[in-house]
Amino acid sequence: MTTLNSENQSSAGERLSAAIRASAVFILLIVMVTGFALAQPAYINVTNLMSILQAVSVVAILGAGVTITLAVGGFDLSIGAVAASSVMAASYSMIVWGLGVYETVPLVLLFGALVGLVNAFLIVRLRVPDLLATLAMMFLLTGLQLIPTAGRSISAGLILPDGSTATGAYDPAFLLIGRSSFFGVVPAPVVIMALVAIVLFVLTERTRLGRLLFATGGNELATRLAGASVPKLKTLAYVLSGTLASLGGIIVAARVGRGDVSSGASLLMDSVAAALIGFAVLGLRRPNVFGTIVGAVFVGLLLNGLTMLNAPYYTQDFVKGAVLVGALALTYGLGRSQAR
Amino acid sequence: MKHLTRTLLGGLFAATLMTSPSFSAGIDGAPAPFDKGDVDIAVVSFLGGGDWLQAFEAGVKRQADALHVNLTVSQARNDNDTQRSLIEQAINLGVDGIIINNGRPEVLKDVAQKALDAGIKVVAYDVNLDNPQIPQIEQSDKDMARLVLEQAVKDKGDGFVGGAVYVAGFAPLDRRYAVWKDFVAKHNLTEKATWGVVNDTVPASVADQTKAVLTANPDISVIFTPWDEFAKGVKLAIDELGVAGKVKIYGVDISTADIQLMNEPDSAWQATAATNAAVVGEVSVRAVSLAIAGQFPGTSVLLQPTLVTRDDLAKGEIKTIEDLQEKFPAFRKSDAATAEWIPAATN
Repeated sequence: MTTLNSENQSSAGERLSAAIRASAVFILLIVMVTGFALAQPAYINVTNLMSILQAVSVVAILGAGVTITLAVGGFDLSIGAVAASSVMAASYSMIVWGLGVYETVPLVLLFGALVGLVNAFLIVRLRVPDLLATLAMMFLLTGLQLIPTAGRSISAGLILPDGSTATGAYDPAFLLIGRSSFFGVVPAPVVIMALVAIVLFVLTERTRLGRLLFATGGNELATRLAGASVPKLKTLAYVLSGTLASLGGIIVAARVGRGDVSSGASLLMDSVAAALIGFAVLGLRRPNVFGTIVGAVFVGLLLNGLTMLNAPYYTQDFVKGAVLVGALALTYGLGRSQAR
Repeated sequence: MKHLTRTLLGGLFAATLMTSPSFSAGIDGAPAPFDKGDVDIAVVSFLGGGDWLQAFEAGVKRQADALHVNLTVSQARNDNDTQRSLIEQAINLGVDGIIINNGRPEVLKDVAQKALDAGIKVVAYDVNLDNPQIPQIEQSDKDMARLVLEQAVKDKGDGFVGGAVYVAGFAPLDRRYAVWKDFVAKHNLTEKATWGVVNDTVPASVADQTKAVLTANPDISVIFTPWDEFAKGVKLAIDELGVAGKVKIYGVDISTADIQLMNEPDSAWQATAATNAAVVGEVSVRAVSLAIAGQFPGTSVLLQPTLVTRDDLAKGEIKTIEDLQEKFPAFRKSDAATAEWIPAATN
């Protein structure tokens, strides 16, 4: 960043480069938003910004789950499948069982927590490596979600494998979770995302429990010696991650109003990307909930702008990848040269 | 200083983004707003790729260029939630019209209504949004079935013994099969069997079923396949049984793969009827443009299909859908949703 030589100045330079690294993502964000707003004024109006937040809300919530598993030194690959299964589970509960919103939501959240618990059992008790355990869970769920309906998508009037027709329908109150907005401006999913972000931010950054979670990821042995139960912490992380993923699934279901076999396919990649971009935010170089939310919003702002400017979808995938590469380079490359 | 930086950055961005559509001139004699130009239309497709979508989008672009319309084209890549977001985005963009290409009714009904509430005209292709303000663009399933079955009667005469591949519960298939039932009654046909299945491997499963049916009913000489995946399965079975000389297929739909199957030496697949995806795109743009100009095209815009026989393919040396679009004039145009002020799309 600078070519200054004398010792006094070099420490000033270091401070400058640290400051730039800490705010790099935000600087890029401002440049990007300004550029898009100039090219297409409709980009910057409040309704569009809310649409963007709504579009990223599910990814941000899932990303927060990934962040917590990353904090304990793990990795949850099953979140996309949990979210997709939750869409199916919510649809099944309402259309086949005829349940309402007050039964469906707790049921689906419970399902997510249960998956997290099984993940934790595999990882903590059976000592299966995190990646493998959650990958296996991903496959399991991808198949499991198809069994109740024999592979059919779930919508009103579904014909069940036994030949009878399902009589239930989506509860209108359930659809409000995805489709309503507060004061006609802030969509409900955005509010849910904000609540999740605040609660998890406080939990991970401001409590003893949060410090222990990060300590588990940093040095498991030291955490154990400090008197904390590593298995309990890991279990907590995976249960949180599974529950958050099913919350994301509930929002998707409430938006689309049907259970489709293909739902949630891209959610895993997008939320992992958000969590990784989050490393670069504030120059923290570690998983953090705030960074993940910023990462998700960053990608959302970028994709919305590109769509408005008519960029085809494959350039969008490329750009998404480029942002991720850039963020990782920022996190690791610049971080290391600074540490030297 | 801050201001300067912003200007510089802004300028840089604007320069790189200059490729975005600029203001276009209007068309003389066209109703407002087309006389002034600067009409924006968004196209939101459920699919993410494939031959059909490519042809559709090419047609959309041709007609939009002829009308001097600015296009925003986006694909939801089979993701319901994304399709909703893309439509919301088009609403935020303040376009004049939205073309919704495929998708699920329960996913899209309320956002489509939101667009209408915002004063945006909406048309939908192949997804029934059940809204009197939204013109539904559809291919005429009845006419498709009628065209191929008339050809079958022409080839085989009244009173032939036939079978149909059919699965209930899919609206287009139901409509096509109803026409077959009419033909059976009107032309004194014998319907020996009805079979079919819809799963992940339709052609292979239908082939297994067809073999059993043909073995049990060797007098069947015509098989009606209201969907091209069914036709593929039936053709596989006929080839494996070696009865291509005796049993003929009359199908619906067309793709490059289908054309190749029909072109095979001694292929049992005699005729098919289909609409051209590029023409669907052109008609969609015309329909939404009529709506924008205040000339509502009606709640239903029907596309007339074209009959394509083995002979047609052989005569024109047609090997792909592109060939068909080029060399088979009937496949190229539709007079659905036209008006004098709308210039024809040019290739």
